[in-house]
Amino acid sequence: MVKMANKKTRGPDKTQANTSDIVVKKLDDATDIVRQPPVFTNDSKYICIASGRQIGIYSVESADKVHSLEEHTFDVIGLAIKDDNILLSCDASGETIEWNINNGTTLKKAPLVVAGIKEFHSFHYPGNGKVLVATPSTYTTNMSSLWIVDSHTRPRKLFADIKSTPHSIAFGCNQGNGSLVVVALQDHSVVVKDITNGVDKKHMTDQRKFTCVALHSEKLIMATGDISGRILIWHDFVHKSRPVKTVYHWHTLPVNSVCFSSEGEYLYSGGSEKVMVKWRLGMSRKQFLPRMGSSIKYIVNAPDNICVATSHSDNAIRFIDSTNKINRAIIGLVKHDPIRGFADTEPIKESVMPTGLVFDPRSHGIFFNAQAGFLQLFDPQKNSLIFNMDVANRNVLTDERNLVIGNAEVLRVAVSPTGEWLATLEVWSNMSAGYHDMNLKFWRYDAVQANYELNTDVTMPHQDRVTALCFQPGLLGTEMPCLVSIGRDLKFKIWRLVDDTDIYRQKESWSCDVAGDFRKLTPSALSFSEDGSLMAIAFQDTVTLWDPTSINLNTTLSHTLVQEPIELMEFGRDNCFRYLVCASKSALYAWDVISQGLVWKVGQLHSSVRCLVPDPKSCYMAAVLQNSEVFVFSPSSSKPVHSVPKMNSSEPIAALFVPRPNPLASGPEWLINSRLLIVDDQQEFLCVDDVSSAGFNQKLTTPISHMDSLPWTPFSAMKAEKQISAAKQLVPVVHQTSGIQGYKSVQSLLETSASALPPMSRICSLFMSDLMIKHGPKAVTAKVNSVDRTSTDLPLSNGHIDSKTQDFSEETTLQKLLTLDCQWLVETVK
Amino acid sequence: MASFKKTQIRSLPKIGQKVTADTLYWRKLNFPVTVKEFGPIDYIDVMPIEPYFIAVSSAAKVQIYNPITHQVHRHFTRFKEAAYGASIRSDGKLVIAGCDEGHVKLFDIGSKSLLRIFKGHKGPVHRCKFTTDNVHVVSFSDDKSVALWDLPSETEIIKFSEHSDYVRAGCVSSISSDLFLSGSFDHTVKLYDARSPTGSTISVDHGSPVESVLMYPSNSIFVSVGGTELRVWDMLAGGRLLARVSQHHKTITCLHLASDGKRLVTGGLDRHAKIYDVQSYQVVHTLDFPSPVLSLGITPDDFTVVAGMANGLISMQHRQTQAEARALNPKQSLKVQKKSQTAYRFRLNADFRSVNRTFNPATDVEVATKTDTNFVSRYDMFLRKFQYSKALDTVLTPYIRKKKPAITVGVMHELIRRNGLKSALAGRDDSSLSSILTFLARNINDPSHANIIIQVANTLLEIYESSSLTPQSEKLFLQLQEHVNREVEYVKHLMEIEGMLHILLASTTTQARRSSTYVVQGSSVKPMLPSAAAAANATMIFNVG
Repeated sequence: MVKMANKKTRGPDKTQANTSDIVVKKLDDATDIVRQPPVFTNDSKYICIASGRQIGIYSVESADKVHSLEEHTFDVIGLAIKDDNILLSCDASGETIEWNINNGTTLKKAPLVVAGIKEFHSFHYPGNGKVLVATPSTYTTNMSSLWIVDSHTRPRKLFADIKSTPHSIAFGCNQGNGSLVVVALQDHSVVVKDITNGVDKKHMTDQRKFTCVALHSEKLIMATGDISGRILIWHDFVHKSRPVKTVYHWHTLPVNSVCFSSEGEYLYSGGSEKVMVKWRLGMSRKQFLPRMGSSIKYIVNAPDNICVATSHSDNAIRFIDSTNKINRAIIGLVKHDPIRGFADTEPIKESVMPTGLVFDPRSHGIFFNAQAGFLQLFDPQKNSLIFNMDVANRNVLTDERNLVIGNAEVLRVAVSPTGEWLATLEVWSNMSAGYHDMNLKFWRYDAVQANYELNTDVTMPHQDRVTALCFQPGLLGTEMPCLVSIGRDLKFKIWRLVDDTDIYRQKESWSCDVAGDFRKLTPSALSFSEDGSLMAIAFQDTVTLWDPTSINLNTTLSHTLVQEPIELMEFGRDNCFRYLVCASKSALYAWDVISQGLVWKVGQLHSSVRCLVPDPKSCYMAAVLQNSEVFVFSPSSSKPVHSVPKMNSSEPIAALFVPRPNPLASGPEWLINSRLLIVDDQQEFLCVDDVSSAGFNQKLTTPISHMDSLPWTPFSAMKAEKQISAAKQLVPVVHQTSGIQGYKSVQSLLETSASALPPMSRICSLFMSDLMIKHGPKAVTAKVNSVDRTSTDLPLSNGHIDSKTQDFSEETTLQKLLTLDCQWLVETVK
Repeated sequence: MASFKKTQIRSLPKIGQKVTADTLYWRKLNFPVTVKEFGPIDYIDVMPIEPYFIAVSSAAKVQIYNPITHQVHRHFTRFKEAAYGASIRSDGKLVIAGCDEGHVKLFDIGSKSLLRIFKGHKGPVHRCKFTTDNVHVVSFSDDKSVALWDLPSETEIIKFSEHSDYVRAGCVSSISSDLFLSGSFDHTVKLYDARSPTGSTISVDHGSPVESVLMYPSNSIFVSVGGTELRVWDMLAGGRLLARVSQHHKTITCLHLASDGKRLVTGGLDRHAKIYDVQSYQVVHTLDFPSPVLSLGITPDDFTVVAGMANGLISMQHRQTQAEARALNPKQSLKVQKKSQTAYRFRLNADFRSVNRTFNPATDVEVATKTDTNFVSRYDMFLRKFQYSKALDTVLTPYIRKKKPAITVGVMHELIRRNGLKSALAGRDDSSLSSILTFLARNINDPSHANIIIQVANTLLEIYESSSLTPQSEKLFLQLQEHVNREVEYVKHLMEIEGMLHILLASTTTQARRSSTYVVQGSSVKPMLPSAAAAANATMIFNVG
């Protein structure tokens, strides 16, 4: 029954027909918001953030998005506030757009013309129509030249061979007379240009490389940070060739960003220590804001000094108020920092995104790694982050200067078929110490609190690395859920939920039910049949089939044709339930578990299979190769239904079929109910989808109220913030949302067994008082008054309404009586 | 995000008896005060109102004890032979007792005078009770009859003679004055209604001679004991058996409710009293006594537990009062006291930035109870400041390292993670080194901490291998080595035994498999499993047999 069919000889006509309307899209909304420093508007009410080709305008007060500006066709490289309500942005192709911040409309589009250069690195706007742009250096790579562009003169080159990062260029120091000083960093020196007075200077220090620079807005003061964590404050650096320097050294790691407060009293600095330091200039006093979650990339100060925004490497922008506390944050999808210290033999997936993509059937989101020790849930429909969950619950440790200190990393995630249970495996290892920790944690979703609660924490579930975790699918509600884990300690373990309830508390916890091995071979892949009745574990080239309830070995499958170790293995879904698809280094083949024979095999693949993902909504399966080719096939035959040619140079590391909320009207069968999501090693999301399927587009069109954007004036203070009219307003009827009155006492009465009940005469009064609606005397009278008022306000035009008012008043008197009654009773009960 | 996360201290659950709320509650009983009587203690009854006097019937007298002073408050000796089952009326004024000659005698506790004698039984009366209306008396006699008497007129109203053996147990309903239960040595428990004089309304078979019966306050369920079994019956369902519990290994003699009807206590000849949860009938605690327990009395506030024993001992146990607890453990009680004090803090809520606002005390002052600021332990404080040596020092104090080694190990673990173990261990003087070494030697055998301790020991050896040590520390290092060697020996032995066991198990499983295949061929039909409904029905029955 072995059919041999090579992928190269696939039917070209069929696939050709499909490729025309299947496209590979990049999910754009998931890009990072911290690539460029954010910009505050002049009134400090809004903050503008560049993310890829978009610009988001967020309210500082609420950290909510107000506008999304999408006109650029290239990545935005710089933002600036031109006038009070005008935002200036520039993209990598040099196109500048002026936007109205209040309503998000485009005012003006103009290309930058700088000596025919088509690529730009960074963009700054000092004011007065002058623009500073950095362009790639002509001779050295990774360096830039800085140009000044004016509307009426030709572009002038200021510096050559400067660093291209956004913080290596600074401007300021108007010294009260409107002069402009521009400074830029080279590796070991700072170049200074006073544009108005035409002074050039170059300052050098010792061998420590500079990382960032900032200028005081008024005085001739410059701050530079370097890789040793030292901050230098330079005084009068324009005129003197050996300026006076003050050393501020607290950071141990390179300083990533320095920033003056708008009055110039304070200096903020931050780096990979995840600590923001607030220095008071001229004094030795400093304040710290530690444990900010992740290393600081940029610090931006609001013009009115009320808050400071910090961009962090975990794709978040945090707002720090004047009391040095984080009070709000704008959080984007987190990119996982690749884990350091993995052996080269490990696939790249293990360090970049070890969990892969795990579908959560409850929220229809995808679980994958966030920052070290965290797990995030991403909603692919809305392209938004649902939440970021702290799995390790440890302090995030920062590196020391010559020492890499690892953090706990989440390596494996599994979600139970109902989404009630989440299993995470976190590992902390120190290769130099030869010590490692491993924790298997079981979390239960609490629907009331809408978060996951830790149920069981197992230390060292396996002695060595855990290869896979999988919940048993297809269980009805009556059975206890079951999780299987396989590890490199040659063992597979079956974990079951155990009811541990006694009279004091209700408790369920997970414990290891069975630990087994097979001929001392390393288990490498694990899969359950769709109904959960069969468990397949691959031990090198042998597939073993087990009965998950009794843990009996049913069969072993092996063949002389397939002798490479199996790397990936998946059961087919739907009507292909009997096929078990296995992928080894160079071959892809399928077993029939009923007839126990090899069905087909495709050998000599171009490159090895990275991911093998079944579609939960159809019988199809996708194989993603290392060279980013994608084949979609049905496990019953080796012929692919669809194939996507090499997409780009990046290597795919994980893939997942995401079910659609509503099926497509037309399209290939495998795309009707779900689409394929692929993540590459840069953690960019790619989506294989039909052209006809519309993306989720939500335009935010709330206009900013006119009042908000106006500056404060004495007249505005006179105008009342709230207007209260003398006219009586209708008071809406308030429903009792706190639950059914006395629900608890009824519940407890029903739950207590008859034997334990005290005599009825004793509990009766308590029970009745629970059932009564308790009102404070004040609240009731107020309510009564309001009802009275409404009744008098109602126009007495026809009899119908008249009768209604009568009802009202009657009701109020009843209510009065009732409450009086209650009061008396409650008192006696007490 | 910005808060420091506490160091995780891993403590593995201890094997052994679990400490539950109930064990803590019942353990608070003080050392018993014992009184020796001449004969076995037949019955103990507790006055249902304060001062909770205790009526003890033994030999030929009935004594009323004061539960606080343990002194005899009154005693009634006007019995020719043995007196049985003295019980106090709910208002605490009268006491009634049966006796060998078949009379039921009524006494006034205040004046000690004999008020009534109910004559009519032909055999000894072992139990007698006042009904709820306080004007009738029920007596249970060895002449196999149960009689209801009118108190004022001293006359018999009804007599039921349905039992075929001695009636040695009985109780009355707490709601209706017409309902009462009797339990007899003929294995039956019968429920009577005085309004239907034709006979018992419910009769159930207990399976062994009934020693005591009890009706729950709700009057829907009654319990009978006898033999080694306790049976629970549903009265509303006409005497359906709800549960059978067998926790004693000798005859159960007495029954009592405790903790406001939430717990059931049984005493038996096996010298134990077991306390059950009335919903699940699981034993939550066991009290031990020096000799077979014949009778039990518990005051309604659970303050005093009285047990009467076969050798004539009465044991009276008091619950520990707060003052006593304070005297025993002054530190702990101080903590409790501190906790109970509530502090308030006033906070001004006014937003002073807005100009046109007047201060409104009703909305702008917020009264908040002082929340417990989360306690940061000293080692966390030092870890937070990256002072690793000091953090390690704080957890090496004798108290922590001896009583709570999990904390020491937890901090060591955190230091390993932070790569600060080497700097924390280095440069130590003799005394602090010796405390580390003794800690390591003591805990290196503990499998739950071993991997961390081994790591610490290795680092310690690495640091101090080249430095010259004082003889004292050297000795300690050698001691540690000895501990490790011994452990290695143990593990070797254990592995040898494991190997032997594997051989044995392998041989038995092959044999079993050979035989089991045969069996499977023989019976291909699956055994029938109970249906869901049947399973639900069966859940109420505990510990059958």
